[in-house]
Amino acid sequence: MEKEIFALVGFWEIILSIFMQWQAYTISNIKTFSVQSWILGIFLLWAGVFHGFTALIILALLTIITRAIAMPLYLGNTIRKQIYRARENKHRISTGLSILISLLLAVFGYLVYYLILAGYGQSLVSIPITLMLQGAFLIVSRSNAYSQLIGYLVMENSMFLLSFLFSELPFIVEAGIILDVLGVVVVAGLLMRVRDEDIEKEEELLG
Amino acid sequence: MIYLLPSISATLGAILSFSLFRSKHKEASVLASFLALVFSIFLLFEPDRFTAFFYVDSLSKIFLLMISSVYLGVVIFSIGYLEHSHGHLVKSCQYFSLLDIFVGIMLFSVTLNNFGLFWVSIEATTFATALLVASENDIAALEAAWRYIMIVSVGLTIGLVGTLFLYSSAHTLSITDLLSRQNQGSLFFLSGMLLVIGYGTKIGIFPMYTWLPDAHGKAPAPISAIFSAVLLPVSLYPLIRFFEVYQDPSLSKFAFVLGFLSVMTGSIMTLNQRLYKRLFAYSSVENMGLSLIGVSLGSYALFGTIVLIFTHAFAKSGVFMLTGNMLHELKTRKIEDVKGLIKIMPKTGLFLFFGALAVTGTPPFATFFGELLIVSKTINYYGWIVGVALFFFLMCGFLFINYRVINMVFNDETKPVSSAKESPFTFVPVIFITLAAFVILIVPIFYRFIEGVIK
Repeated sequence: MEKEIFALVGFWEIILSIFMQWQAYTISNIKTFSVQSWILGIFLLWAGVFHGFTALIILALLTIITRAIAMPLYLGNTIRKQIYRARENKHRISTGLSILISLLLAVFGYLVYYLILAGYGQSLVSIPITLMLQGAFLIVSRSNAYSQLIGYLVMENSMFLLSFLFSELPFIVEAGIILDVLGVVVVAGLLMRVRDEDIEKEEELLG
Repeated sequence: MIYLLPSISATLGAILSFSLFRSKHKEASVLASFLALVFSIFLLFEPDRFTAFFYVDSLSKIFLLMISSVYLGVVIFSIGYLEHSHGHLVKSCQYFSLLDIFVGIMLFSVTLNNFGLFWVSIEATTFATALLVASENDIAALEAAWRYIMIVSVGLTIGLVGTLFLYSSAHTLSITDLLSRQNQGSLFFLSGMLLVIGYGTKIGIFPMYTWLPDAHGKAPAPISAIFSAVLLPVSLYPLIRFFEVYQDPSLSKFAFVLGFLSVMTGSIMTLNQRLYKRLFAYSSVENMGLSLIGVSLGSYALFGTIVLIFTHAFAKSGVFMLTGNMLHELKTRKIEDVKGLIKIMPKTGLFLFFGALAVTGTPPFATFFGELLIVSKTINYYGWIVGVALFFFLMCGFLFINYRVINMVFNDETKPVSSAKESPFTFVPVIFITLAAFVILIVPIFYRFIEGVIK
């Protein structure tokens, strides 16, 4: 039962990350990330209640509060002050090609599992690996700072799925990870307010 | 608990600088850094301590001493540096507060007994310092900070997967527990590879080093100093511990190859650098690559690494601080625009020359001794061809960097400069580079002190 629910959660996480690949509206991507985090948080909450693990319940609540609510609100608030960044017209890779690459990454994720991790008996491990690759691809395929940051956050979400699948890290470590990611988002948000990503060549950054 | 005293001092410094003593933030930071150094010296004489949460041995104590020393120097130098800088993204009190909290996290991380918390603290240093990198608030600085935060965070995510696999295979993240058991299996090996790649991103290892020249090149000089001197070795610290608990020849080869490629890239890239801070940033890539090689080889090469990073910390931080003097007075970052530095700024010029010799491993600096140990172990383990190739790239770095520095310092085509007066805080890099020269004298004491770690 738990495996089926995990597969369902993973499936939706991947579908939503592919949806992000063809989204031109950054605000939609922020909302999609929020939905992703809600799904992850609710799943962790269910697992915590089902197994009676208080630490998992706290972790689920922390996930919902920070990833599903606080970060999207903060990023949404930041982008409203920079409305010209709300739509990303010029992708580094065309939308069609990025969807195709996303699908290929899903296949590649399964291959990574099959070739390297199949021996550990966790057939579902291809799901977080695929999600991680989707996040990484979002970072490299976009020049918009918000999209890149969301790509990073998708990667971090995949870490929680991976952690759940293998063995839960100690609570203090998981909580530390959540706080770290929150710190990265806050500082990245501050930088995004003043940074202009349309620079062509900057002599001081060459070589 | 006493092992937390240096970290607590720095954290209190951060709190005081930002809140209660905002008007006296410089004094608060100087006091905090001074206390951190005093506590670190005091802890050298305290017995090792291994608890569920802390793992403090002679290696941790050396790291505490190294971090605290550079911290004090950087805080003092920052006072003079910030007076001459304008248009900063962060206010002076925020700068000192972020610097204090950053050092507090590093001082904390080297006392930990948990690979998961290593990850948490190393990642925490990323967001604590991103705004410091962007401090100059121009396009290049903001881009450098953005690249820093994105590349390092993504790289560390790979390190997190490694940590997760480590926990899955060993069911513990504690160093003490891992040392007391046989660690083997392919998942353990995979976790080692991912940890090398993940932390390697923060150390500046090939191919994930690309953030490093940007961040070092554009950060304010004291921040470049503390990054190169302390942040990179602190990011290497979890890998030193990992190789302590898991010695696998294949993993050692994997780390060796990455280290070798870093030495190669770092030394070759110094050839075409046009900006002096980036030149020294690539020197850090080279030195960190060599350090990773030492860690991967273990035994006396590990001792070489420790000597190298300790001496490098003083020399490189001194060099970066001197580049701050140059930037303020000469208003240029370009190597070609700096000529006859010895006449314009005698102390800066002379010690830049000595500092460059130290960071490129020239005798009698202890960096030479460290490099010698690492190269000789490489020959011993991988044969003459690999050893000579490594030595060749080290020589390339040595020649390219010193050729540029000699040109900047001693070339007579002095350009007229209206008022080139050296900062009164130049005494800090002067002391640091002098200390780097004296490290060679304490190498035997160093060895006795750290013998238990090297095995």
